[in-house]
Amino acid sequence: MSDIPKGRAWKFGDDVCGDDGIIDFSIVREGFGKEFDEDALRAMCFRRLRPEFPEQVRKGDIVVGGHNFAHHNHVEVSVAIRASGIAVVVVESCEAVFIRRALNTGLPVMICPGISTAVQDGEVISADPATGAVTLPSGRMLHARPFSPRMVQIWKAGGVIPLLEREFAARRAAQE
Amino acid sequence: MSRPPQTVAQKIIAAHCGRDAVEVGEYVTVSADYTACQELFWPGHKRNLERIGVDRIPRPDKAVMVIDHSTSASMGSHHHETHRTLRDWCTKQGIENFFGPGSGLRHQVLTERGFARPGTLIFSDEGNIASIGALGALNIPISTEVLVSLIQDENWLAVPPSARITLTGKLPFGVTARDVIQAILADATPGGRLLQCCVEFDGPGLAELSLDDRQTLLASLFHSGAYTGIMQPDALALGYVRARDAGRPWQVVTADEGAEYVAHLHYDLGETRPMVTVPPDAHGAVPVEQTAGTRIDQASIGSCAGGRLDDLRAAARILRGRRVAPHVTFYITPGSRNIYAEAAREGLLEIFAEAGAAVLAPGCTTCWGYQGVLNDGEVSISTQQFNYQGRNGSRTARVFLAGPHVVAASAVAGEIVDPRALLAETAA
Repeated sequence: MSDIPKGRAWKFGDDVCGDDGIIDFSIVREGFGKEFDEDALRAMCFRRLRPEFPEQVRKGDIVVGGHNFAHHNHVEVSVAIRASGIAVVVVESCEAVFIRRALNTGLPVMICPGISTAVQDGEVISADPATGAVTLPSGRMLHARPFSPRMVQIWKAGGVIPLLEREFAARRAAQE
Repeated sequence: MSRPPQTVAQKIIAAHCGRDAVEVGEYVTVSADYTACQELFWPGHKRNLERIGVDRIPRPDKAVMVIDHSTSASMGSHHHETHRTLRDWCTKQGIENFFGPGSGLRHQVLTERGFARPGTLIFSDEGNIASIGALGALNIPISTEVLVSLIQDENWLAVPPSARITLTGKLPFGVTARDVIQAILADATPGGRLLQCCVEFDGPGLAELSLDDRQTLLASLFHSGAYTGIMQPDALALGYVRARDAGRPWQVVTADEGAEYVAHLHYDLGETRPMVTVPPDAHGAVPVEQTAGTRIDQASIGSCAGGRLDDLRAAARILRGRRVAPHVTFYITPGSRNIYAEAAREGLLEIFAEAGAAVLAPGCTTCWGYQGVLNDGEVSISTQQFNYQGRNGSRTARVFLAGPHVVAASAVAGEIVDPRALLAETAA
């Protein structure tokens, strides 16, 4: 099986706020200093914009966003999207910090100019963070900025903590 | 081959990855001078350290750990436990740069204690720490990934493109730096030209701004989607740094002639006026007159966007000899213990107390709804950073953002007002 994400697109518009849109800020404020409540985050993810999302999203689906996607986001926003089963987020543009936050939780975010007009809601597309290739149902290809080798490693490990866990274990084993 | 012209951000990043030059967009691994971290995510960080199996961080001298979000945590609250956990961990690691509750915001700790110096690169958890750019230091926000740079003494980044904002003129009567940045944000299309950029401020207008004003501009810049920001340190900034560097090295970095900027904006400070940002959009600033008469329940001065000494002085100019309206609760939070002490020496605290304002312990306080929580339908005007729904409690509460003159004058009037009439009375 190819490990290139391929799935149904859920489309969202421009200027979608992370903390007060994709999720509610109340869960961030009340959760500070505690484990992430992934069930609660998943249940509220995109609910305000697409009420059917939490129920109907399937593992491997893809989020397609417009400009300035997920602005004003705490890490809980990325956790909510990842916990919903989304394989990759492809956007016209977003803040640099969102890319890092998402990647660290194992969620790749690709910046792909032209994506919001090229894809219809519900269409099946594939998006490869490693090469930046986004393939549409017609076979047409768009090009996002590819991830660096380190970013690919973090993505494939499911986040930065699992990757470091593995790397430090290997380092300890080598010393023994 | 000759080295391509470099922006300030490129030069500082190149210096921290042992290179002569770096390209915009290039992924590089840098070793920062410091990593600045707050406490809220610390229980998670601690669990992750245990998962990874890290006993010792390699450079405890580079960690700057500050408890600023939950300064007034009550005994038995999980934040109170977090404080203990973080303090104990810092002791075990030999981290001397631990700053407990009430020390102040990371932004202020970094500048006041001489960590932020020209040419330094600091990994931090938030974009608003770009305020340290007023001293020529580069903030690289990496969110919860501060853990990675703490345990590896390095982390990756993509070299950001740079943009320029040139300032000319001088602030008119009654106008503050907060009004200027709110006007800039109103013009900056969300996701527009400053997105992911390091913004270099320059121009003769900078010399007309105090160091506090300059930090205010930089602290709120991230609402434009900019990654970070920086200014060329002048004699004022360098004097401030020299008084605090304690012999630690620094170097002023200037952009090369011909360096590339993706955008170049110009602002005449003389043309700015008091602004109010209407919720829930961070870009929704309008001249104060358009919101005048809006009844308020709460006012607050504080946060990394508005809790510096100049902000407190501005509030005191309005509050001296006046009273906060009976239906308004007014919170004032000094940005650091040093600012608190200076406010005491200058008699500002006395003015606040006599006016009926509540002074809170230095920290983030009302900016994330930790204190000053708003009920359904309530209205607040604040110098804080955020105005989206639910930030301060109820989603039906509304938070208007403004500079310290507008906030203090509105607290006195009980509704949003143009502060210039009160200021003119004071001056007369």
